Order: sequence, then structure tokens, then C-alpha cells
Amino acid sequence: MDAEATRSFLPPLVFLLPIIGSLLTVPLQHISERARNIGLGVVCAAVAVLAVVMAAGVANGMVYETMLLQLTPDIWMYFRVDAMGALFGVTVAVLWLLALVYSWGYMDGGHRPARYFAFFMLCLGWTMGVAYAGNLLTFLIFYELFSILTYPLVVHEETPEAMAAGTKYIIYILIGGTLVLLAIVLTFFAAGDQTLTAGGILTAEAGRTNLLAIFWCFIIGFGVKAALVPLHGWVPDAHPAAPAPFSAVLSGVMVAAGSFGMMRVIFQVFGVDLLRELEVAHYLTWVSGFTVLFAAVLAVNQDDIKRRLAYSTISQMAYVVLGLSLLGVESTIGALVHITNHAFMKGALFLCAGLFIKRLGVRRVSQLDGAAKRMPVTAAAFALAALAMIGTPPLSGFVSKWYLGLGMLETENPWLLAVLLGGALMAGVYLLPIVYRMYFREAVLTAEDKIAEEGREAPASMLVPLVITTALTVFLGLGAALPGMPADLARMAAEAFFH
Amino acid sequence: MDAGHAAATVAEVAHIVSSPLPAALVFGPLIAAALVRPLGKRWPGVRNAYVVAVTVLTLLGAAGLIPLIAEHHRIQSEVPALLGELTFTVDSFSMLFAIFTSFVWFAATLHSLDYLKHEKKHDRYHTTTLVVLAANLGVVLAGDLVTLYLFFEALGLVAFLLVIHTETDEAKKAAGKYFWMTVIGGFALVGGIFLTFALGGSGALEPLPAGHGDELLRWAAAILLILGFGVKAGMVPVHVWLPDAHPVAPAPASALLSGVMIKAGAYGIFRVVTALFRPEVAEQVEEHLWHFSEQLGLVVLWIGIATMFIGVFLALQQSNAKRMLAYHSVSQMGFILAGIGAAGYLGAHGAMGVAGGLYHVVNHALFKACLFLGVGAVYYRTHSLDLYHTGGLWKKMPITFVFMCIAAAGITGVPLFNGFVSKCLIHHAIVEAWEYHELASLGIAEKIYIVTCGGTACSFIKLIGLMFLGKPKMEYGPEVKDAPPRMLLGMGVLATAIVALGWFPQLLIKGVFQPGLHTWGVHGDILDHYLEHSFLSGPDLMSVLIAFALGFTFFFVGMKFHLFHLHAPQYFSIDWWYRQAAHGLMALCAATDRTYEALRRATSQLLRVGRFEYAEVTARISRRRRLLISTLLTGAPGARDQHFIGHASVALERERQDSVRLAVLAAIQHSRADAGVTDKDLVDAVRDIAGYIAQRLMNERMGALSDLARTGGLQSARVAFAGAMSEVAKTRTPIAQTALALAPLRMRGDNVGRDIAAAVNTLISAERFDLMLAPRTTGGVMALGHTAEAGQLVRSALPTRAALRAAGTSGLTWLERAAAWLLEITRLVVDSLTRERSDWIAGDRFDDAAVVSMRLHIQHYARDIGLNVAVIACVLLVFVLAIAL
Repeated sequence: MDAEATRSFLPPLVFLLPIIGSLLTVPLQHISERARNIGLGVVCAAVAVLAVVMAAGVANGMVYETMLLQLTPDIWMYFRVDAMGALFGVTVAVLWLLALVYSWGYMDGGHRPARYFAFFMLCLGWTMGVAYAGNLLTFLIFYELFSILTYPLVVHEETPEAMAAGTKYIIYILIGGTLVLLAIVLTFFAAGDQTLTAGGILTAEAGRTNLLAIFWCFIIGFGVKAALVPLHGWVPDAHPAAPAPFSAVLSGVMVAAGSFGMMRVIFQVFGVDLLRELEVAHYLTWVSGFTVLFAAVLAVNQDDIKRRLAYSTISQMAYVVLGLSLLGVESTIGALVHITNHAFMKGALFLCAGLFIKRLGVRRVSQLDGAAKRMPVTAAAFALAALAMIGTPPLSGFVSKWYLGLGMLETENPWLLAVLLGGALMAGVYLLPIVYRMYFREAVLTAEDKIAEEGREAPASMLVPLVITTALTVFLGLGAALPGMPADLARMAAEAFFH
Repeated sequence: MDAGHAAATVAEVAHIVSSPLPAALVFGPLIAAALVRPLGKRWPGVRNAYVVAVTVLTLLGAAGLIPLIAEHHRIQSEVPALLGELTFTVDSFSMLFAIFTSFVWFAATLHSLDYLKHEKKHDRYHTTTLVVLAANLGVVLAGDLVTLYLFFEALGLVAFLLVIHTETDEAKKAAGKYFWMTVIGGFALVGGIFLTFALGGSGALEPLPAGHGDELLRWAAAILLILGFGVKAGMVPVHVWLPDAHPVAPAPASALLSGVMIKAGAYGIFRVVTALFRPEVAEQVEEHLWHFSEQLGLVVLWIGIATMFIGVFLALQQSNAKRMLAYHSVSQMGFILAGIGAAGYLGAHGAMGVAGGLYHVVNHALFKACLFLGVGAVYYRTHSLDLYHTGGLWKKMPITFVFMCIAAAGITGVPLFNGFVSKCLIHHAIVEAWEYHELASLGIAEKIYIVTCGGTACSFIKLIGLMFLGKPKMEYGPEVKDAPPRMLLGMGVLATAIVALGWFPQLLIKGVFQPGLHTWGVHGDILDHYLEHSFLSGPDLMSVLIAFALGFTFFFVGMKFHLFHLHAPQYFSIDWWYRQAAHGLMALCAATDRTYEALRRATSQLLRVGRFEYAEVTARISRRRRLLISTLLTGAPGARDQHFIGHASVALERERQDSVRLAVLAAIQHSRADAGVTDKDLVDAVRDIAGYIAQRLMNERMGALSDLARTGGLQSARVAFAGAMSEVAKTRTPIAQTALALAPLRMRGDNVGRDIAAAVNTLISAERFDLMLAPRTTGGVMALGHTAEAGQLVRSALPTRAALRAAGTSGLTWLERAAAWLLEITRLVVDSLTRERSDWIAGDRFDDAAVVSMRLHIQHYARDIGLNVAVIACVLLVFVLAIAL
């Protein structure tokens, strides 16, 4: 595989561009909002295009790599775009672009827009770095940076709840980050610095105790970010507090970054063979299976829309970990595809929730009665994304769950189907009542409300990203088998992991 | 069957011809549905024509399958989408389903054009029906399980809009129930499909390979699949949504729901029993391979018997015509399931069951759709559906009445109407199954079957008798006349088909079933035998007669004793249990949520308490640490000294208050003496000034005390303190006088600060509180403090420079020299530290008492300094060790 590696300036460009964009935010903001929007939009679109280009290259068998900076005599800042990273990178870049466009409308008239946009772009850069990091230290640098620099976005509203959520967030994330750091130090101790490739860099010679210590440090460290119960505490507080477009990326890709890290660890630090030998993956299966059901059950009783969606994220992201922990080809494909599919499904849902807040001033499910009449497009998008989340064919959620289901059978765990379908059923139980309320309940409106009914639908600038996100949800389902789609890249990645 | 024949069949079946027609049939209506809304917005008339045209074209397309199938047996289309490709494979049975589906759709659409006049949202209705038509065709034409599942889910979810169309509270409730059962059924289905993969299936609608996966998994897969399809099919015990959902929809939609859509479920079960869990065509010679299929068939057969009986029993209790028809749909699905079950049970000899089940599928679609449309026409004119409130309508709506009679004749199985054929076929199949394995229980099943037929007859005697015959129980206005022509046309085509299939059973049997069974390698000869010998034969007619006799008996007994209005307690209803389960689930969620929240709150409370405790502990530790350090640096204060100082400060504070009080009293007296009344301003000024002076004095006294404490003189001061306090009391009067003197100045607004300060100074110098406390006996020595004493002692103990010089350095080892040097240094240090005070010591005061006292002080000092030295020594030792090691 290394033989095909191509030296390329693209990977560092992809994370440097947003950083430049973030530095430009304040000057551009001083010129005008329009200039800022256009400038950042161009940067973000460029990142998305580059990510897509690289993904296309990777799908054709290329591997991009860059040695950027020598950190110590032994360690380089090293980027390497493989199938898995390319897929995650595209997901991140595209969702970010959509959320950015949506933010223009959402942050209109909001306080301190420059800070918001600057950190928003900065986080994009770091997250792209996470996707393309080629060795553990590079990964760590970007992972920590984006985790910590997310804080200003979480507390952006600066309400007491947001501040409290931010504190909670930073405590959780720092503890998780410390464990990841510890695990990486241990890995260096056991194996030295090596490129992340399939097959793993650790060997059984490191000793079972060491390996177990490394494994659990990694899993708990990333588990905080991936919101595995009982490490999920920050998620349901941070999401409702953050601005909606940021909630979308937080849920869509940031939580997924934890799962992505786990994936790197499982397949590229340990390798499938070593993990099978260690016999620890099944603990992860139990934890994530429990998370799927537990978070879904908790979601049912949340009245705050974004809080309910946050619990849904915990449940759905556990599917990814569940898929990984099975150590099967199909389940790994399912996990990878689910990251992408979930990003757009949940992105669409959060963008809808943002519109409900912005246009109707509604934060609670119980206030959504009759919303479909007032905001038909938003309600339709929400309904579609909710159905996708449940796994209704032919929407995207079905595809990833299908692969996960096949993976469960492939690894001879048919009982896990109960978890898969139970989680999906609970998704119906917590999402569909919202849809029902929007469409089939009459809103209780005062006379003044009725006069103001006209024109409640969001402006086009916010609807367009929402509609595109929803369309992607449909397209990722209907076109799942087309070449170059997530399943294709995921299969490439998974087959490399399993030789 | 001989191996050669089987091989030939396999070769024939394996050859599949590709054709775009099946895919076009599915996607045609789907795409066409997109145009409904734009057309309906402007020209509703054009829209109506358009939807009818789409259904006609679909029907023609489905009919176009007939020659293709006759020629090629199986045709297939593939559409790239979702997980690879959606495949549509059509064999004889799929074709049959497609044709009757589009036929009934056409009739119902025709009927709906008028019926919808009193409903809203026509565009939504028509769009939905076209999408559902596409989904329904997708289900029956699907070539693999994923495609089947996709369209099955679409069918179920989109049909929700038909159920809820009227948006009444009743409709919403029914639609809710329908929706959840559909969703759960969908999950069961997808679970079952997953398990077929675990059983080695390829996803195609083909027999699963034998000997792959254990028995349990096989059963789990079969039961999940049958449950998943059964929800849609209205199978007992998952039928509960059907009697609610079908009646609340608009009548043409009810016709579609009851006539066609539930057949999608039947189709699924049919494929599960006869395609998935059946040995490969080539393996059919092996009898034991049929074992599982037989068992499964038996289960389905019994489910069918239960469904038909319970359905008819409940139908008899209904007074709402549409609700009654809906329960009959449940019951009739029981007939179909019994036929399919018998087919599975009989295995390779199941031709009769297959034919009976599928014949009944078609028949039920025709007559139930016709009945719903007829009842819909009645509702359209009279706005009543209550059997016990209408009556005598045959005069007002004669054509509707005729069509209703035909449909009722069909459903009750009157000879020469279609129901007769299928019911006889199913009856034959059950009897055959009974005889084939001599299973006595199937004998009972056959009896139940006849009784159910009787119940059906009774039910429709009731319907026709109460609604159309007899005397009108309400006044009909002039608007009650025969249905509009488009409605009549819709019913008419269905009635024609009912009669045609009753007269010419060979149409389906020879045209569809035998070629279809042939591709499976199942014997179809028995059907020829039926057509030639049993059709309209004595025994069959006899069983119909028995059924009708039972029917009339039930009707008259029931009407006489009012048996049709019984209501069982709610816990007899499966629905009630489902609701309990749903509530249970929600309660469980709520309980989990509450528990979790409580846990979370408890944890955060615990953390808060922990944080508080931590702060407490650290505060305590830091207090201790400060105490320790101050002890190390200044020596430990004696407990008695502390106590004494506390006591003294209280006494001094009291003294301060007394001074102020005295001054105030004096002021009051003064002002009374002067003016006769209390001068409040004067009193305030005096209180201020006296308070200030007393405070200063108290501070001075406390300062003297703490000075004593530092220098170790407290011991003796304790003795002197009581006396000193009585001395101190003398200052009260001067304070009062000063305050009184200064008060007028202050009241005038002058600055009296300097006067007060002067007064304080005078008082302090007059008092000399420190001297009052100072020990009288040992005088100066006591006042010098520890350091000076120790310094003195050390100095005297050390050899002097002169002594050292006298001893000479010559005879000393290096160690002794080093010791001497260290001693010298120590002497210098002590000297410099203590010089200031030791200079005061008079050389001649070293008397005995002084020596004793000195020794005491040295002991104190050693106690104080010892700890310091020990710590420093330890640190040094550690340091040395660290360097050395």
C-alpha cells in the first residue's frame, strides 16, 4: 500500500485553509458581514472540494501523504489520507459547509459573530487534521486542539446554562484527552512511532498487561468523546446550549471523531488479529449495546428538542462502536457508513431544531403542535430525517443499519439484532411523536399569532442548506451502491483492515 | 417426482428473461403521482381523468405480463438503487397479484371521484393512492427480500395517510395504532430477513439451503417473517389495528386497504411458506427435507383457522357496516392463511392449498372491495353506516343493492359466485391435510371452518337484511337515490369479475396456478381432478347448504336473544393487552428517565458535598499548617497562656464597655443637670469620644499582654493581672471627664482628633499597664525573653577565643579543628542574633535565683528550638543522602 503513496500538499492545505479563514474572520467582519460570509464560504467550499477530490483519488487507489514538520528527531507531523480518513474528511467538510451557510442566517443579529465564525473555521481545520493524521502524535495534536477549541462555541450563547454546559464539556473532554495522551505515550513506549496502517503497530510482544492498559486508556479516552454510557454526561447538556448549526456539527462529526479515533485504534494501532487474541472487544460490544438502548430510552422523555436529539446521537453513535467491536468486515463497513449517514441525518434534524427556535421560538417538543402548517419545508425535512434515523428504506439510515445487521450475522451474533432493531424502534418512539405533533395536532394560537402566521417558514438562505442535507440523506440511501459512495470507500477501508 | 423431471424444471426456472415491464409497472405510478398536485391545483377535472388514466394504464401493463409469463415463465427487471440493485421478478403468482391489484385500484379510483366530494384534500388522497399502488405492485413483483421489504415499508407508511385522511379524532387514533403496528411489523420483518441471511439465504425469494443454521434460528426467522407480514395481513393476534383503521378511511380507501393492501401481507406469508422454507426443487425427492415446511404450514394453518373464527365472531357483534366488513376482512384473511398453511403442510402435494389460498386472495379483493364501495355509496347518500338505523334501501338504491347482493353471494360462497370455488378448494385442502397425515386436530379445524362459513353467511344475511331489506328505520330525503354512475361503474366491474370467476374457475386454475406450480415442480394434476369431478358436485353444494342453514339459525337466534350486542370484558381484547404493553413501555422509559435523573442529581449532590468537605479539610489543614509553622518559628504557645490571653481580652473588652457606659452615664447626668432633659447630641458625642479612647486603651493593653506572651512573661503576669485590672478601672473617670470636656467641641464640628490623641497618650503614660503586669521579683531578666537568655547561656558555655588559643591548635585533629571552627561560627551567629538585648544584661545580676530561672528558660527554649533544629537536620540529612547516593 505504501508503494502507491503519493506525496501531496493537499492534506496540509485542507487544514491550513480554514485556519487562514479563521484568522481572516475579524478583518472581514470589519469590512462587512457579506464579505465575511463570502470569504468564509469560499474557504469552506474549497476545503470541501479538496476533500472530495482526495476521496475520489483514494477511491481510485491513491494514498496521499505529507511529512509536514519535524516535531522531534523521531517524530514528524505526518498526514496520510487513506480510505477511512478520506470518507470522514468528506463528511466533515461537507457538513461543515452546510452548517456554515446555515449559520449566516442563524447568527444574523446574534452576539459576537466574529468569535463564532473564527472558532467555527478553526474547528474545521483541526477536525480535518484529525481525519488525515497519519501517526498517533499528529492525531493527538489535532484531536486535543479541536476538543479544547470547541469550548468557545459551546458557551457561545453565554447563558448560565451554556456556561455550565461548557464547564462540564471541558472537564469531560480534558479527562478523556488525558487518557488518550496516556495511551499514546504507552503506545510509544511499547512500539515507537509508526505510521497508522492496517494491521496495527502493536504486537503481542508488548505484553498482555501493557496492551490491555493501552486499549482501555484509548477506549475510555475516546469513549468520552464518542459518548458511550457512562461517559456521555456532557452531550445532553452541550447540545441544547450551543447554537444550532454548531450542534449539528457537534453531533454529526465531533462525537463521531471519538468513534473515528476508536476505529484508528482498533484497526490501525492494535489490528484485528491482536484484538481477537486479546479477547476484549466483546466488552465494548456490551457497553455500546447498552448505550444504544439506554440512551434511546432516555431520549423518549426529553421535552427539549435538542436534548432529545442529543440523546439520539448518543444512541446512534453507539451503533458505530458496536459495529467496530464486532471485528467483522460488514459491521466495519456499517460503522463507517453510519458515521457519514448519521452526520447528515442528525445534521438535518438539528438544523430543523434551529429553525424552530429561530422562527417559532420553540424549544420544546410539546410546543411543536401544528408546526407543519407554519413551516412546511422544515417539517418535511424533519420527517424525512426522522424516518431515515429509524432506518426506513430507502433512506440512508437503512443502509448503514443493513450493513451492521449483516455484520452481526457474519460474526455470529444474531442476538444483537435485537439491539439493532430495538434501538431503531426506540428511535421511532422518540422521533415520530414529534412528526405527528407537527402534522396532525392543531396549534393553540392566539388571534395575534394567527395574523403573524404568514411567512413563518425560514428564509431561503437557511432552507437551502437544510434541504441539501435532507436530500443527501435520501441520496445516500438510494444511491448507496453507486461507485464512490460511502459504502464503496468503507469497503476499501474495511477490506484493508481484514487483509 | 422423478429426478429427470425435477432437473428439467430447474433448467426451465433458471432461465429468466429480462424485461423492463415489471420495473415500469412499479415506477410508473410513482412518477405519475408527482403530477397529481400540480394538475389538481388548477384543473381538478383533468386531475381526475389523469388518475383514472394512470390506473387504467397500470392495469393494461399488468395485463401485458400475461403473454410474457405464458411464454417465459419468469421475467425480471433490475434497477440500480439502494444496496446494489432492486430486482423485480415476476412469475405466475406475482402476475396474478399485480393484475387484481391494479384492477381493484381502477375500480376504487373510479368510485372515489364522486365519493370524495364530501372529503377534503383530494390531491393528497390521489397522490397517496398512486404512491401506494406503486408500493403495492413493488411488493408483489419484488424479486428479492430487500426490494420486498423496501416496498412493504413504503406501502405501510404511506397508507397511513389514507387511514388518517379524514383527520377526525377517531381517524387519528386509529391511524396512530395502525402506524405503530406497521412500524413494529416492519422491524419484525427486517429481523426475519436478516435471519434468512444467517440461514445461508442470498436474499432472493428462493428456498433457503437445507442444513444451514440450527432449527431454532429457522423458527425464529420464520416466525418473525410471518409476524411481520401478518401485521399487514390482519392475522390474529396482530390484527387489532385493522378493524379500527379500515372503517375510518374514506370508503374507496377502505376498499383498497381491505381489498388489496392486506393482500400484500398475504403475499409475503405465501412466499415465506412456499418459497423460502421449502426444499430446493431438485431436492424435493427427499421426504425429510419437507419436515420444517410441513411444521410451519401446520402453524400457519392453525393461525388461519383462529383468525377466521375470531374474525367472524367479532364481526357479528358490530353494528357499524364498515367495521363489520373490516372484521370480515380479518376473517377472510384467515381463510387465505388456512389455504396457504395447508399448502405448506402438504408439501409437494399442496397444490390444492395454494390454489385455494390464492383464489381466495383474488376473490376477497373483488368482493370486499365491492362491498366497501357499496357501503360507501350508501354512506354517500344517507350519511349513515349503522345497520340498525337503515333499512329498506333496495327500493331507493336498486342497482347498488344488486351489486351488494352479488358481492355478498361471493363472500358467503353461494354456488356460481367466486367465493364458492375458493372456499371449496380450501375446504378440500384442509380435508386432504386431515386425511394425509391423519391428524385428528385437523378434523376439528374442518368443523370450525364450516361453522365460520355459517357465521359469514349469518353476517351477510344481517347486512343485506338490515340495511337493504325490511322497513326503513329512518326518513330518507330526496337525496337518497341510486349512487352516481361512476360509483356504479366501479362496483359494476367488480361484480362482473365476481360472477365471471364463479362461472369459470378454470380461468385462474388452468391459466395461472398450474403453470406456476409447474415451475416449482409441485403436482398440479389434482386441480384438474377438482375441475372435472368436484366443481359444483354434491358434497360441495351440501357443505354450502349446511353453512347457510347455520347462518340462518345464527341470525334468527341472535336477533331474538339480542346476542349481537354482547361485550366481553376488556381484558379479553388483545388490543387492550397491546395498549397495556405500550403504556408499560412508556412507563418504563419514564421510570428509567426518573431513576437516571435521580442518580445524576445524587451524584452531583455527592460531588458538591465532596467539594465542600474538601474545602473544609483543606482549610483545616492549612490552619494546622500555619499553626505548625508558627510553632516551629516562634515556639509553641502554652495552652494556659492562650487561655489566659483569651480571658484577659474578655476582661479588657468588658473594661472598655464599662468605661464607655460610665462616660455616657456621666453625660446624661451632666445634661440633666444643665437643661433638665437628656441632650441626645451630647450623649452621642460623648459615646463616640469615650468609645474611641477606650478602644485605644484596650488595644494598648492587649499589645502589652501579647508582648508579654512573646517574651514569656505571662507566667507571672497571670498573678498580677487581677490586681492590674482593679488599677485599670481607675481610668474610667478620666475617660468620662475627657469625653465630657471634648464633647461640646465635637458638637460644634471641630476636629477633636488631636485632643483625643493627647488625652489617650496622657492616660497611657499614667497607667503603664505593662509595668503593672511585669514581674516584680526578677525584674529585667524576665523581660529579656528567651533569645537573649539562650544567647547568654551559649556564649558562656562556649570556649572563648582566648581559651581556644590557649589550648593551641597544634595537637588537634582535623575533626577537632572543624568542630572548633563550627563552634566559633555558632558563637558568632548567636552573638549577633542576641546582641541587641543581651547588651542590657548587667553582669552583676547573676545571682542564684537568676541561675535557677535561667535554667528553666533554657529548658523552654530547647523545647521550642528543638523542633526547628530537628526539621532542618532532617532536611539536611535528606539533602546529603540525595547527593551521596
